[in-house]
Amino acid sequence: MTELSKIRNFSIVAHIDHGKSTLADRLLEETKTVDKREMEEQILDNMELERERGITIKARAVKLNYRADDGQDYVLNLIDTPGHVDFNYEVSRSLTACEGAVLVVDASQGIEAQTLANTYLAIDAGLEVLPVVNKIDLPAARPEEVKKEIEDVIGLPAMDAPEISAKNGINIHSVLEMIVHDVPAPKGDREAPLQALIFDSQYDSYRGVVVYMRVMNGIVRPGMDVKMMASGAVYKVVECGYLHPKGMVPADALGAGEVGYLTASIKTISDTRVGDTVTGAENPAAEPLPGYKTCQPMVYSGVYPADGSKYGDLRDALEKLKLNDASMYYTQENSIALGFGFRCGLLGLLHMEIIMERLEREFNLDLITTAPNVVYEIDKTDGSHIAVYTPINYPDPMEISQAYEPYVKASIITPPDYVGNIMDLCQFRRGEFKDMTYLDQSRVELHYEIPLNEIIYDFFDALKSRTRGYGSLDYELIGYRPSKLVKLDILLNGELVDALSFILFADEAYARARRICEKLKDNIPRQMFEIPIQAAIGGKIIARETIKALRKDVLAKCYGGDITRKKKLLEKQKEGKKRMRTFGTVSVPSEAFMAVLKMDE
Amino acid sequence: MNVLKPLGVYIHIPFCRSKCQYCDFYSIGGSRDRRLVDNYLEALAVHFKEAGALATDYIVDTVYFGGGTPSFFGADNLRRIFAELQHRFRVDKDAEITFEANPDSVTESLLKKLRAEGFNRMSLGVQSDRDDVLQKLGRPHNYEQARAAVHSARKCGFDNVSLDLMYGLPNQTAPQWKETLRHVLELKPEHISCYGLKVEEGTPLWEYKDAANLPSDEVQAEMYLDTVSILDEFGYGQYEISNFAKPGYESRHNLKYWLGEEYIGFGPAAASDFAGKRYTYVRNIETYVRGVLKQDIPILAECDAIPARERAGEYVMLRLRTTQGISPEEYEKNYLMPFEPLLETILPLEQRDLFYQKDGHWILTPKGFLVSNQIIGLLQEAQDRSEPLAKKR
Repeated sequence: MTELSKIRNFSIVAHIDHGKSTLADRLLEETKTVDKREMEEQILDNMELERERGITIKARAVKLNYRADDGQDYVLNLIDTPGHVDFNYEVSRSLTACEGAVLVVDASQGIEAQTLANTYLAIDAGLEVLPVVNKIDLPAARPEEVKKEIEDVIGLPAMDAPEISAKNGINIHSVLEMIVHDVPAPKGDREAPLQALIFDSQYDSYRGVVVYMRVMNGIVRPGMDVKMMASGAVYKVVECGYLHPKGMVPADALGAGEVGYLTASIKTISDTRVGDTVTGAENPAAEPLPGYKTCQPMVYSGVYPADGSKYGDLRDALEKLKLNDASMYYTQENSIALGFGFRCGLLGLLHMEIIMERLEREFNLDLITTAPNVVYEIDKTDGSHIAVYTPINYPDPMEISQAYEPYVKASIITPPDYVGNIMDLCQFRRGEFKDMTYLDQSRVELHYEIPLNEIIYDFFDALKSRTRGYGSLDYELIGYRPSKLVKLDILLNGELVDALSFILFADEAYARARRICEKLKDNIPRQMFEIPIQAAIGGKIIARETIKALRKDVLAKCYGGDITRKKKLLEKQKEGKKRMRTFGTVSVPSEAFMAVLKMDE
Repeated sequence: MNVLKPLGVYIHIPFCRSKCQYCDFYSIGGSRDRRLVDNYLEALAVHFKEAGALATDYIVDTVYFGGGTPSFFGADNLRRIFAELQHRFRVDKDAEITFEANPDSVTESLLKKLRAEGFNRMSLGVQSDRDDVLQKLGRPHNYEQARAAVHSARKCGFDNVSLDLMYGLPNQTAPQWKETLRHVLELKPEHISCYGLKVEEGTPLWEYKDAANLPSDEVQAEMYLDTVSILDEFGYGQYEISNFAKPGYESRHNLKYWLGEEYIGFGPAAASDFAGKRYTYVRNIETYVRGVLKQDIPILAECDAIPARERAGEYVMLRLRTTQGISPEEYEKNYLMPFEPLLETILPLEQRDLFYQKDGHWILTPKGFLVSNQIIGLLQEAQDRSEPLAKKR
C-alpha cells in the first residue's frame, strides 16, 4: 500500500481527437510503466473496435510509478475516458474515482463542444482541472491564443499550462510534475470500515466478475469477506491488486485512496453493479458511498437474433455486456415479425453501433436491429399518461389526446463562416434558436433547442459536412414538449411488418415514407414474384414502391465439372438466406432494417 | 455373366487456336507444342490402362471429346486417343461418339478420317451469325466458315450435327437474336444448344463487362422464351434448360450428367461421377501429365464420396434441368425421402405457371427454368426440413 500523500488519482479529459489517448501512451512510457519495445499506439484502447476506429469507448485504469523531481516516489493512477458525447456517462463515472483531471486542448483547434462538456463534468465532480495545450508542434498551433481562450471561456487559469506534443513526446515530464504538485492527494481513513466504489467490471470466464474499484476508506485484502451493499451479496475475496496495461498485478491489500481490482469467484453477474459500494461483511460501513445517478438511455432499438433459435445466446450476451457497459439497458420484447428479442436502450447511435458490433464479434451472434427511436410520452383519452419505448406499443390515434417528444439543448461550436449553414440545418431539423456567443474571433457557440429525434440519426454527420469538419456538438436532455406524432407502418406484400414501424413527426411523414419505400426497394433482393412495399398511417397508404419479380436466375451450362460448383453455389445461396428473415413469402435481409435509417439528404 | 453397366467417357482436349473473351474452360490458346502433345497422348494412354482395369464390368456407350477445341487438335491425335480407349475399355458398337469442333479447324479430310474411325456426332461452336460479334468475342472464324463446316459434315456422312449458339451477347437485341436463330435453322442441324452468356470472373470479358452493353435480365429472359417457342415451332423439342433436339437426337452423353448416370473423365479439369465418387482432376496439363506418368504428384483436385441424402439433392437439382423432371415415386423409392414437403413447395409454383405435371412427373415450364436456381433452392430447403422415410416408419 502506498501512503495517501504519495497517491495521485487523475483522469484525462478532452474533445475527441485532441490527443488524450496519445498523451496516456506517453505518460506510460515516461514513467517506464511499459517498456519502449512493448509500447504500441493507443495501448489502453485494447478493444479491437477501439483500435479500428481510433476512439476510446471504455474507461480504463492504470497505475504509474513516478519518481518526481523532489526525489520522492509517487503512485499515479490514470483513468482514461472516452471523448464522444455518447459516452459522457463513462466519463462521469470515472471522474468520481479521481481528485484531478488533465484537460487536453488541441493547440490549433482550441476549445470544442466536448472540451466544455467534459470540463464541466470534472468541475461538477469537484475535481481540480489542469489544462494542457497539446500538438504545439503543428504549424497551425496557436498556444497563446488557446490558453487565453481557456481562461476566457472556461475560467481556468491557463497561462502556466504545459505546452506539449504528445505525439512527439515534447514536455511530457512537465505534465507529470504538474500532476504531482496540483492534483490533491486522496483523503480517506484506512482504519475505517471498508468502502470501495465500483466504477467498472468485466466478466472473465476463469475468474468470474472482475470488479474495478476505487477504495475510499478502509482496506481490502484476499481472504476477506466482502458485501456488495446494494445487492447484499457476500463473497470471499480471492485476489486483489493493481491495474497494469498488460494485465492485473496481484497485491497483498488495497487501502483507501488506491485504485485497483478484486476477484471473488463471482458468477452472478447481477450481484455487482457499477456504482455500488463494496464493504466488509464483518465490519460493514454504515452508509454506502453516493453512487452514480442512473443514466438515461437516449434511444431505443429492437435487437433480435437473425436466427430465431439463438434467443438464449443473445440474452446471455446482453447480460455479460451489461456488466461492462452500465449505460446499456434492455428488456424483453416480442415482435410478430421477428419473434423474441430485446428492446435496448442506448446513449446514442454511435453507442448503439458499438454495442451491436461488440455483440456480433465478442459473442459471435448475427443480429437484426430495428430503427432506433426516442422515448415518447402520451396523454391518453382515458386520462392516463404513458411512455412509449417501442413503436409496437404506440397507441391507436383514437386513444391519443396529446403526444410529447423529448427535446435537447444543443451546443454547437463552429468557425463563424459556417453559422449560416448551421442555422439552415437546425431550422430544417425543427430546432429553435436560443442564442449565439463569440468565444473568440474564430469561434462561435450556438445554442438550439431541438427534438432529440432530429439529432440522433445523422445530425452529427450533417453538421460535419456543413462545417468542413470544424463543427462540434454537445447536447443534453431538457424535457418533453407537445408534438404532432404519427406511427408509420410498412407493409410488404400486403402484410404489416411490425419491426419496420416507427414514430415520426407528422409533417415529415409523407417525405420520409417515400424515402423509406425507396430504401427498402434497394435493399430487398428481387424474388420470384412482384412485391409491393407500402407505407401507411393508420389504414391509409401514403407511399408505395414495387420490387419487380426476378426474371432470370438460371445456370445456363451444367455439365460434368459444373455440378460440384453448382452445389457449392446452392450452399452459398442457403447461407445467404440464413441472414434473411421471411415474412409471409418475402425474404428480407437483416441490413434492410437498418437501411431505412440512412436518410442521407 | 453379370450385366454390364453403361458408362460415359469424357476426354478433355485442352488445346485451342486462341482463347475466346468469355471462356473459362481450361485450355491453352495458340499452342500445339509437339512435345506437350506427345506427352499428353502418352499420359492419356497410361491413364486409360489404369482406369480400364477398374471398369471391367462396364460398357462404354457414349464418348465425348470436349475442349478446348478437339478439331484444332487434329484428326490423327483424336484417332490415336480413341484407338487407345477402345483398347482399354469395352466400347459399345452403337456408342455415341461426339467431338467438339470450331468452324476454322473443320476440314473434309478431318471429317472423313473421324467418320471412318466411328465418330458419329459433331458439336460445332457457331455462337453467332454476325461476323462483327464473332470478332468481338474473340472467335477465330466467321459465319460463312460455320456454314461450310456443316456442309462438309453432311458430305462426309455425319447425320448427327449439333450447333452451339449464344444469346445475351454485347449490344444484342431480342429481334436480332430471333433473326440469328432463324438464320441458323436454315442449316438444319439435328440438335441445337443455346446458352445465355455468363460473364465469368477471370475472363477478359469480366474486365470490361460494365462497358460491354450486355442486354438486361428482362431482355435475356425474353430471348430465352423466344428461343423455346421458335425451336418448338421448327420441331426441336426442349429436353434440357439450354438443349433442343429433333426427336431421337438428344445428346445421350450429356443426358448422363443430368440423369445421374455414371461417367468417367480424362485429362486436366475433367470431372467424373464413377463408383459412388464425384471427382475432378487438376486444371493444369503439365501437372496432369507428370502425375499420370511419374505418379509423384497428385492429379486429383477434388474428390467427394456422395452420401445418399446428397444424391437426393442432386436428383432435384439435375433432373429439374431436364424435361423429364422429378418423379415422386422414383424419389421416394431411390432416396427413401418423403416427397410431400417438396410437393407443398411445388403446388403454389404450379399455380404461377412455373411447374407442370406430366405422367406423374413434375417438370419446370420455360418460365420456371428461367428462375430455376431459386426454385431448386426452395426445394432443397424443403428437403432439409424432412426426415428420411425409413426413420419415420
